[in-house]
Amino acid sequence: MKQQLLTLLLVLFVVGGALAQRTVSGRVTEQAGGEPLIGATVIVKGANTGTTTDVDGRYSIRVNNDNDVLVVKYTGFRGQEITVGNRSTVDIILEQNDELIDEVVVIGYGKQIKSTLTGNIAKVGGENVKAMPVVSVEQALQGQAAGVYVESANGKVGGAMRVRVRGVGSINAGTEPLYVVDGIPLSKDAQNTSGAPMNPLADLNFNDIESIEVLKDASAKAIYGARGSNGVVIITTKSGRSGKSRVELDLQMGTTQPTGRREFLNAAEYIELFTEAANNSDDIEGVPYDDPNSWTTFVQGRFRRYDGHTNWEERIDQTDWQEEALRTGRIRNATLSFSGGNDKVRYFASGNIGLNEGVLVSNELEKNGGRLNLDFDATKRLKVGVGLSLARTFTRQVSNDNAFSTPLQLIALAPITPKRDEDGVLYDRPVTTYYNGLIDMEDGQRKVHSLRTLANIFGDYKITDNLGLRVEGAANLYNVRDDAKFGERTDNGNDSRGYGYSAFANATDYNANAVLHWDRAFDNHDLGFDLGSELFTSENTYTLVEGEQFPSDEFKTLASAASITAGTSTITNYSFLSYFGRARYNFARKYLLNLSARVDGSSRFGQDKRYAFFPAASAGWVLSEEGFLKDNSLLSFLKLRASWGISGNADIGNFQSLGLYGSGNYNGVSTLSPDQIPNPALTWEKSTELDFGIDFGLFNNRLSGEIDYYVKNTTDLLLNVPVPATSGFTNQFQNVGELRNKGVELVLNSNNFTGKFSWTTSLNLAYNKNEVISLAGGQTIIDDGSNMNVVKVGEPIGAFFGAEYAGVDPDNGDALWYVNAMDDNGNIIDPTATTNNFSDANFVILGSPLPNVIYGLDNTLSYGGLTLNVRFQGQTGNQVHNGGGLFMSCNACWFDNQTRDQLERWQNPGDVTDVPEARLGYSNGDQTRSSRYLSEGSYLRLKNVTLAYDLPSSWFAKAGVRDLRLYVTGTNLLTFTKYDGWDPEVTTDYLASNIIYGVDFYSAPQPKNIVFGLRVGF
Amino acid sequence: MKLYKYVLSGLLVLNLTACDKELDLQPAQSISEELALSTDANVKSVLLGAYDALAQDGLFGGNTLRDAELLGADGELRWVGTFEGPRDVFNHSMIAGNYEAENMWVDAYETINICNNVLEAIEVVNEEDRDQVRGEALFIRGMAYFQLARFYGQVYEAGGGNTQPGVPIVVRPTRGIDESSQVSRNSVEECYTQILNDLNEAKSLLPDENGVQAGKFTAAALLARVYLQMGRYAEARDNANEVINSGLFSLLPNYADIWNNDDNTSEDIYAVQISSQDFGEATMTVFFSVPAFGGRDGDIEIEQKHLDLYDPSDERLALFFEANGGIMYSGKWREQYRNMPIIRLAEMYLIRAECNARLGTSTGASVDDDYNAVHTRAGLTSKTGVTLDDILLERRLELAHEGHRIHDIKRLKGSADGLPYDDNQLLYPIPAREIEANKNLQQNPGY
Repeated sequence: MKQQLLTLLLVLFVVGGALAQRTVSGRVTEQAGGEPLIGATVIVKGANTGTTTDVDGRYSIRVNNDNDVLVVKYTGFRGQEITVGNRSTVDIILEQNDELIDEVVVIGYGKQIKSTLTGNIAKVGGENVKAMPVVSVEQALQGQAAGVYVESANGKVGGAMRVRVRGVGSINAGTEPLYVVDGIPLSKDAQNTSGAPMNPLADLNFNDIESIEVLKDASAKAIYGARGSNGVVIITTKSGRSGKSRVELDLQMGTTQPTGRREFLNAAEYIELFTEAANNSDDIEGVPYDDPNSWTTFVQGRFRRYDGHTNWEERIDQTDWQEEALRTGRIRNATLSFSGGNDKVRYFASGNIGLNEGVLVSNELEKNGGRLNLDFDATKRLKVGVGLSLARTFTRQVSNDNAFSTPLQLIALAPITPKRDEDGVLYDRPVTTYYNGLIDMEDGQRKVHSLRTLANIFGDYKITDNLGLRVEGAANLYNVRDDAKFGERTDNGNDSRGYGYSAFANATDYNANAVLHWDRAFDNHDLGFDLGSELFTSENTYTLVEGEQFPSDEFKTLASAASITAGTSTITNYSFLSYFGRARYNFARKYLLNLSARVDGSSRFGQDKRYAFFPAASAGWVLSEEGFLKDNSLLSFLKLRASWGISGNADIGNFQSLGLYGSGNYNGVSTLSPDQIPNPALTWEKSTELDFGIDFGLFNNRLSGEIDYYVKNTTDLLLNVPVPATSGFTNQFQNVGELRNKGVELVLNSNNFTGKFSWTTSLNLAYNKNEVISLAGGQTIIDDGSNMNVVKVGEPIGAFFGAEYAGVDPDNGDALWYVNAMDDNGNIIDPTATTNNFSDANFVILGSPLPNVIYGLDNTLSYGGLTLNVRFQGQTGNQVHNGGGLFMSCNACWFDNQTRDQLERWQNPGDVTDVPEARLGYSNGDQTRSSRYLSEGSYLRLKNVTLAYDLPSSWFAKAGVRDLRLYVTGTNLLTFTKYDGWDPEVTTDYLASNIIYGVDFYSAPQPKNIVFGLRVGF
Repeated sequence: MKLYKYVLSGLLVLNLTACDKELDLQPAQSISEELALSTDANVKSVLLGAYDALAQDGLFGGNTLRDAELLGADGELRWVGTFEGPRDVFNHSMIAGNYEAENMWVDAYETINICNNVLEAIEVVNEEDRDQVRGEALFIRGMAYFQLARFYGQVYEAGGGNTQPGVPIVVRPTRGIDESSQVSRNSVEECYTQILNDLNEAKSLLPDENGVQAGKFTAAALLARVYLQMGRYAEARDNANEVINSGLFSLLPNYADIWNNDDNTSEDIYAVQISSQDFGEATMTVFFSVPAFGGRDGDIEIEQKHLDLYDPSDERLALFFEANGGIMYSGKWREQYRNMPIIRLAEMYLIRAECNARLGTSTGASVDDDYNAVHTRAGLTSKTGVTLDDILLERRLELAHEGHRIHDIKRLKGSADGLPYDDNQLLYPIPAREIEANKNLQQNPGY
């Protein structure tokens, strides 16, 4: 391997003849008014080298000779081509126009001009996420890139986000894309010490983001080899530019509130429904209502218990528990940044503080951080840079959705129950039906502090004018401290005079890479090679101490715990060692070719299969450069692309290939027991992906777009295969099974109006079909037995599998299901046959939790200093399962307060309704794996509206103020959906996995945020 | 060219330092299978792992006891918790995917596989300890199979051929997953033969005393229980007699003292060891007790129908406690982090009494004496002319909520909640996940 590498290197040196180069610089300005154009692209025609202008519109670029032509482009302006001649200063004035095609995009280990790309990369500019009043950058991305599905699991601040690029790509291995921040692959480990997952990107200040590129097809991501198969999200932070220093201050202030509420029974309705349910149960058993053992007597006893010091018979609404759980919270954000530099040194520095209160009481996130990006020209040939960011977040967490103490489970309590007793003390059981989670707010706390340091250093050395070496080293240090204390009255602490724990998790990742670049352009040929190697190591440690018996609730740390009940510490680690190479060639920017390959080794795989090879090839043909299309007035740009490649997924747990014994303890003595069967052949998942695309521009690129069709086959799935438990094990990781995602993506960008009034529209739309092709030999389904989401051959991953609810028998009020008995061919024999016995109902596929179409529509209108941006985002084709339905919508089967729709229950023979007869203590339609609790999950959301006003600069120029913007931004303002729960964008945090999507379980609704902002530039 | 050399050597250094060894990482929290079974000390640790596995929630950590009570509740207790699995067990509306049924199955076979590993590696154990280690592994395996046979196997018919399906018998450790992992169900008869073989061999190998681990008389006590279930009363009686006569155990003067202890009492023949440092998966307190003592939510309430069975002066009645406004709960499992008695001497007296009564013998002691030993300890006056019905009632009160109820209903051919003893819903389903993973398994009727 190393020898081959050396040989290749030598070949590169021989080919790389040095030519006389010189530097040309100048300024790019706007024709009208002569304002500098910041960020305009300047490239040397026929070469892949390019640069962008600084805040003063200045650029500097190397040219080979006097005949070189500079191509200058800027979004919204007509491009220009200028022959350099013998000048060293070339100033360029651009006219407004509608060029949207040519820009530089970040690719893995480099940059490339978009028109010469042969892969599919979605770029979202920093401007599109800047100042969005959301916690995490993924939320800001939602609806902005075609084929990138973003789901925020629920409305808890700092909660986990799920991003899926081109569908769900795995069943048991990871499905998140690889995040690369300024060249550092960011591991998502050590985010989570308690049941509710934390988000690793929550600490990124996205006002610092220059651009986000999502690598979607194989040719773009194969350079990331064994970690590329779920797509790669490259986040590039801002760097300084030579020119005048610039200071920018952004202040935001606003509120957050839930997007939706559910309706529950009031006191009178509660008493009515439960009394009726008890009567019905007595009727079934033939017991008189006034019998001391009757259900009716029992229910009245419960009412007396639940009403505390009040009298339930007055039917007064004591507490609206939903309102106790939800609130309107505050949002505060401030960012201050400095940037600038001279011809040798460039800098960007920023600091931010922010507070986001959640829509759930006592849930909040504070973050603050700082960043310094610095690069300088050490010598004429050597450029050196450092990037350093520190981010601290503080989260006040609430329990996961499955805990009685999570705020939204309060809705289960009875409306006849007062919140507090006459002394002002919060009621608990037996007065409350279940634990009163408000006690947790008063007498408990869970504080999570995290601190992340991301540091990278790089050197870029130009060995010759064509050959360069870039060496990068980076460290990602992440520490999380999770401290909790629950007082004597809390659910966690009431049996032990207080309970507390302190957990500390640490992740330390190191990454080092070296890449040799060579490129050369001559005549119409443009040729480039990259060759590199990379080493990544990651170590995670975890320490936990638990204690009980505190002298009083005022003591919050374990130092005061009389009894330390548990303690542990663990270490785990993994590593990757990789070699990669890439070659690209284009002829006259007309015929494009790109080849890449990566060899990855990982500690995670079995000794027998340690290294993997990931090749990719792609080609493009720019038809609009051909004679027959050149100067076509309608079609200004047309490119056909095709790509093929293999990428991998190594995101399984560590050490899964080994046969292992773990330790335990019994009666104070340590024990050993088997916990894993060996599989020395265990290896990466392999995704083979084919992509065909068309990029086009019409009417001088006023309308431009992309259409892609892709098929991604994932084979050798790292499947956690259920094995017969009679073996003593329940599962084993094996490489079996196949999954396919195929789909179509459409992107359209249009400049509807230009000039004083301008209006741009962009639309992205993606259709994806996910299908499980095969599982382990002969296996047709993975079904955990309790949840409705399954993996079934021929269906999308996570499809809902359960009994088909058939409503209510009008004669007797029994819940009915379709029998759906199947013949040997799997056809349903009698689609109308129903049963009132749940066990007799055959399970069928009832829908998918994953949408098949996701889309975003963005409109920006501006007139004078006024800008209005309106963005819609949505999805269709999915279902949502209300996992709490069996408690909150079970026609009064037990004492949980019921959703108001349960009043539609069957009461008399002949009633036609979907809600069965209420029967206390009886199961009448409350089985959770039934389509009764499934609803349509499609939604369309007014995701973001921003109205901004840039005050005329003449007003305050004398005060040294450069620009001043006032704005108001709202997110999640309107949601159109048929889902009758809190919010259709939901997956309960305690279940979320690759298989479980679209399950609502007392999950917090999404936040609707409105903020007012002020941005000042000096 | 000089510069190139630097660059080249730079890249070389990067690649050389980052060689294969970076990929050879070993876990810190686990050791390899070979190592775990290679020394005397390690194999003994694995044996302790089997005791630990036996104390999992699916087995004697609690659920196997809880579900025997829920299945045979018969209006004497009520499940009011929110968990779907136990609720369906209680309501006799289990489906094949019932989590409780899955959990017990998984925990039992995990325990069995650990025992099989110990038995396979027995030659590694020091010769002087070999018999004892082997005996303990056989005891644990027999105990796990007995729970499996009773919950998943069709009812054992005393004196019948018992060819009805029991559970698969696996006696070799698993080294990999292949076709041989697709086992079939053995007959009920074969299961009980295996259980008797394991326990009888264990009894012959084990020392008389073995601390809180299994000794000779622990095996004998379990054998008494197994023979009783099979209706082989003479053998049940003789084993119970051996235990009582060993002199190693004695009844405590106060019934309440049997419960909520940190250490074994003189009455405990086998108890699962629990402490606040190591409470593993103990679940009886979780479900039978109330939050103030570490219980979940008072999920299991004791009904008047059960309380009415006691004489008002019965000290066992006084053990029930009241909470949540007049609701009664079992006091046996009130406190968390306490040892869980699994087999205790009172049961041996009751077995000996019942068998003597059935057989018309008086091995060890008279029926009246054995009965009264238990009866008067509860603060009641002694009785003469004790009948079989008296003994069965005494057994029901003395051993209430200790995981015997449904098994007694089945062996006595009684009924629960109107369901006959051999009703499908009184039998666990073979877990749905197991039917999926193993095509050779036959489901129980009704699922």
